[in-house]
Amino acid sequence: MSATTMSGQEKSGGFGGMQTKPATAMNAARIAIDNLDFYYGDHKALKEIKLDLPDRQVTGMIGPSGCGKSTLLRVLNRMYDLYPGQRATGQVMMDGDNIIDPKMDLNALRARVGMVFQKPTPFPMTIYENITFGVKLHERLSKSAMEERVEWSLTRAALWGEVKDRLQASAMGLSGGQQQRLCIARTIAVRPEVILLDEPTSALDPISTLKVEELIDELKNDFTIAIVTHNMQQAARCADQVAFFYLGEMVECAPAAQIFTSPKQKRTQEYVTGRFG
Amino acid sequence: MSATTSPAGSIPGATKDMRVARALGSRRHRINTLIKVACIAATALGLLLLASILFTLLWRGVAGLSLSVFTNSTKSPGSNGGLLNAIVGSLIQTALGTVIGTPIGLMVGTYLAEYGRGSLLANAVRFVSDVLLSAPSILIGLFIYQLLVEPFGGFSGIAGCLALAVIVIPIVVRTTEDMLGLIPSTLREAVIGLGAPKWKMIVLICYRAAKEGIATGILLAVARIAGETAPLLFTSLGNLNWSVSLGQPMASLPVTIYQYAGSAFDDWVQLAWVGALLITFGVLAINISARVLLRRTK
Repeated sequence: MSATTMSGQEKSGGFGGMQTKPATAMNAARIAIDNLDFYYGDHKALKEIKLDLPDRQVTGMIGPSGCGKSTLLRVLNRMYDLYPGQRATGQVMMDGDNIIDPKMDLNALRARVGMVFQKPTPFPMTIYENITFGVKLHERLSKSAMEERVEWSLTRAALWGEVKDRLQASAMGLSGGQQQRLCIARTIAVRPEVILLDEPTSALDPISTLKVEELIDELKNDFTIAIVTHNMQQAARCADQVAFFYLGEMVECAPAAQIFTSPKQKRTQEYVTGRFG
Repeated sequence: MSATTSPAGSIPGATKDMRVARALGSRRHRINTLIKVACIAATALGLLLLASILFTLLWRGVAGLSLSVFTNSTKSPGSNGGLLNAIVGSLIQTALGTVIGTPIGLMVGTYLAEYGRGSLLANAVRFVSDVLLSAPSILIGLFIYQLLVEPFGGFSGIAGCLALAVIVIPIVVRTTEDMLGLIPSTLREAVIGLGAPKWKMIVLICYRAAKEGIATGILLAVARIAGETAPLLFTSLGNLNWSVSLGQPMASLPVTIYQYAGSAFDDWVQLAWVGALLITFGVLAINISARVLLRRTK
């Protein structure tokens, strides 16, 4: 799927033949971030971020380590609430709610904004239970409806064929790439609106990486996706728009083709051409 | 900068003398041999002492093993007494002590690892628990004596159980906290990220991920209290007759060993050896199963 979209883009720019998606019109914002500051204690890690995540499109976040891109992701599902001393101010609007409002119902928010992590995090239980765990938190389904949901989510995560005969086996026995797709299946089984991917392929081999990237392309038909990555080729392949972060600031956000071929900011250009970072 | 590019000849210092290098090498070799021999000798000494204890125990204990040890209670000297009341008493007190102490220890350990991390109260609780872990067990016996035995008019099995429970608590606290602490924070975040409340994360995922480690801690606590004598001397006291009433003084293997080993009667001394054998191999079995459990986690 992604192979065909890439093939027409061979000469899309002067940056070493980097392949980018064709520029598409941006949809309306699903999440609108405005004037967001974030603090780890006294350290200000995000400065006046303004960024829209367009509905059912992929937003790539790139930048050197420590630039704040993962921090931003963790604001979007309030993961930072787990740790005392971390706080955010500003506006992160989704469906008319400010996500960082202290009165927000966090469990309901996390059902709407799912997250997949850098390292696969299977739960110590069967493959089937891994999927149903999240669903049971938010819905009451009959056994047959639950089985349908499990098959649906595993199919969407391109894992059904490999595990359909061993649903009652422990998830810890899967390979790393399978575990990561299980985590994606587990996340979409809850039927979120937004999926956050924090370097989802950095612990995977190239074949598994390819599978996950194809999956991202498939999933954006139904979900709004934000992906943090250190791999610029990946951002180019997967993302519709790319945001470049540097030292806690969002330097530039533009359609992927533009960021990698004709960025407006000098710092962006230096980063995407590998001159620092 | 110049050092990395210059030829080897211009490295500062005298030219390398192979004789000096060889002398230094053989000196290292001698020290190595010396330390190796010292380590092996120390290990051998330790193992020898241990083997001699086990051998003596087997030698003296097996000689007295007979069916009547398990069918008769302790009796007056020369009337073919056994250890039944002591064995059953030990089982009851160890089991109840574990059952009472484990949930408390589990919950305190969970608080330290999941809720109180870094807080002043948690640090204080952890410190007190660690002090309790290494407190002389006779103090715990005296504590329960003051609390239960004196005010309620006498030694009792339940007082023994509670004294043992107090010993169980800090052991379980320590292992529970350590084992929960080993769970990677990404796993916790993955659970929270699905919209799970914290208590479900702890009960459904963390306990499950740490279950072998926690079970090992409980087994080690059982092994520890099964051989405790001092906390029982002031609480359940010991009982020469058959009794399983928690309100009455209750016999136990360690206390019986303590009373019999120093007695003037040969058959009592013999029974003490048998009791020591039983308790040693019981504790050994528990320790081995704890090891096996822990290895399965890795």
